[in-house]
Amino acid sequence: MTEEKKPEERKKRRTATEAASKIGPMVKAAIGGTVQAREEGKPLAYSFICCCYDEIIRAMDVIPVWTENYAGVCGAKRDAQRFLERAEAENFSRSLCTYALCGLGFDAWREELGEMPPEAPWGGQARPDMMLGSGQMLCDPRNKWYQAAQQYMPDVPVYDVGLPWPPYEDDYDYREVQDYYVKYIVAELKGLVQFLEKHTGRKMDWDHLSELVDLTDRTWNLIWETYELRRAVPSVMGTGDAMNTMVPMVFMMATQEAYDFYQELNDELKHKIANKEGEIPDEKYRLIWGGGLPSWFALSDFNYFNSKGAVFPVEVTYRMIEATYNFDMDLSKVTDPLEHIAWRWVKFWTYWYDRARKRPGSHPDVERLIKYIEDYKIDGIVMHEAFSCRSWHVGLIWQLNMLKKVYKDIPSLILESDIVDISSYNEADTKARIDAFIDTLEAVKSR
Amino acid sequence: MRKQYFAGVDIGSTMTKVVIMDQEVIASVIGATGPEHRKLANRVMEEALAKAGLPFDDITYVVATGYGRINVPFADKQITEISCHAKGVAYFLPEVRTVIDIGGQDSKGIKLKDGRAVDFVMNDKCAAGTGRFLEVTAEGLGVKLEDMGKLALTAKNAVGIANTCTVFATQEVVSKLAEGVALADVIAGLHEAIAARIYSMIGRLKIEREVALTGGGAKNIGLVKALEARLGYKVLVPPEPLLTGAIGAALMGRDIVKEAEEKGTPLVRAERRLTEATFFT
Repeated sequence: MTEEKKPEERKKRRTATEAASKIGPMVKAAIGGTVQAREEGKPLAYSFICCCYDEIIRAMDVIPVWTENYAGVCGAKRDAQRFLERAEAENFSRSLCTYALCGLGFDAWREELGEMPPEAPWGGQARPDMMLGSGQMLCDPRNKWYQAAQQYMPDVPVYDVGLPWPPYEDDYDYREVQDYYVKYIVAELKGLVQFLEKHTGRKMDWDHLSELVDLTDRTWNLIWETYELRRAVPSVMGTGDAMNTMVPMVFMMATQEAYDFYQELNDELKHKIANKEGEIPDEKYRLIWGGGLPSWFALSDFNYFNSKGAVFPVEVTYRMIEATYNFDMDLSKVTDPLEHIAWRWVKFWTYWYDRARKRPGSHPDVERLIKYIEDYKIDGIVMHEAFSCRSWHVGLIWQLNMLKKVYKDIPSLILESDIVDISSYNEADTKARIDAFIDTLEAVKSR
Repeated sequence: MRKQYFAGVDIGSTMTKVVIMDQEVIASVIGATGPEHRKLANRVMEEALAKAGLPFDDITYVVATGYGRINVPFADKQITEISCHAKGVAYFLPEVRTVIDIGGQDSKGIKLKDGRAVDFVMNDKCAAGTGRFLEVTAEGLGVKLEDMGKLALTAKNAVGIANTCTVFATQEVVSKLAEGVALADVIAGLHEAIAARIYSMIGRLKIEREVALTGGGAKNIGLVKALEARLGYKVLVPPEPLLTGAIGAALMGRDIVKEAEEKGTPLVRAERRLTEATFFT
């Protein structure tokens, strides 16, 4: 019986930074906060990260319930299987996104019981008043998950905000069409505001929204500057920590708390650099986490890399910001908050396009890897193919092949598992692959 | 100067291999790993020493490799099978640039440069594409595993096996036989299926000639031919394809000793006592 299964919790991962070690309690408090908010009758919305509606929901005092985050927490606590099995019993395919499956399994169970499933990790995922989906190129569960969740919560309305961006083509300049995209996104965001006003009975405070948009810009820039500090040799903070420090970036954006967190991290990294405090004592190999979401139940694998002298000063995953002052436009001149958000969105997703067009056969994702490899003095690349996450992972091998073709041959490792489903993971095999990869790094370095 | 001997112990998922070398292989033993593999390393080592006519104290350095390498308490060093296979293949076939190793429960591709592994891929998730695939289907067909390869070569018209899952492929071959398809044609189809799986996995490495085939799979002539058909050219097979990892391990040991002697650094060696591993106990 799924109800009787006990989670197999793992010992905590060692963090290199103080900041990263604070994230667990922060997430726990945030999840607990949503459960309490539910009891207090405050409006809650199921939300996705990277949907550029952070400022809008914060300005409307709608409390986000980050469903991907909760599934990740269940995975990290090795307590997701019972929710995955529940979703499977509801006839959802096991090959769908396991974030979605975990969430749907949880929702089905909670709605059936009329209360949280027994021993729900960190108090459980609160029932929402609305669900904010997103039709975009990032992934398909973003507009299907919440529609499916309505089977269990037919009274909870869904708003699906369309957030496209111009696709990359090497033979045209996306700027020719960018205005249309911005116009479309603004219309979608206006629709979201109307939806929120209707379901909360509140009116949008546009001045407050503008303040939060400005705060978000400043936070983006601060994060970019902070993460750029990680170019330092020895590495002061690795991807293992970054999988924690991404929390304020994606779950707390448009809050002063997020800004303050990165200021603190910035100070900490500067201090470490000044004192030459590397994350490990004997750094031999500098690696990039070149793609793929991590296995939340196996973050300790980063410690295993560390034990072999390998560090990850940079990653492409969950670095969902760029410095707005590096965009090819002066974003500060866009004073309408919704337009501002739309432009920031389009400029973020098209940021690497121009570089790619300059290198025949390249691609924006490949250019990003190349830039990081050079800036962070990288020796090898590690990617993770999470079987259940198609949209983010389907092109990884292609990217790797393109990188080797248009740039240079670089040692690479593909790990295979999942984000949440621990049945896909074999610790011994993973370590065997890491060991072999370290050997190849050594062979290449000593040539 | 005292003569130096080097031992390589390769504990694979199915077979345990030990070689003892001076300049060449002077003794080798291959034994089934089995469920008692943690106790086997010392026994196979004992047998190899007896064959070589050497006391254990005469072994200068012992390197363990393979997935069970941690279960060799008398090894001086553990080195991954990727590195050891690369070393072993380069020793026999220096012209090789790509190694395909088909083991009992995994398969891997290794890219070589200057005799060292510089890239690799592994299949350790799925039995299809490993020796286990043929083992299970042979059992389902009632055919001896060692006869499978030769039988495949007698096929007139190999049938396609659609299922990549080992369990369902076994069901599929049984139903093919029920349809009246000749046994040899079914077996040839199985070999083509496993070759296709391996080829697609190795394809990630950008296969460069020459290609060597090692592991138990290299002893199956049907599989060798099926892979050659996929590649479009002949593959090379070392003299004893099961031993390349163990030989590579012994050679690694030789390099380690040589380097230590040149640099004048002390060698860290395990106690020369053939005890059972206590890793799991």
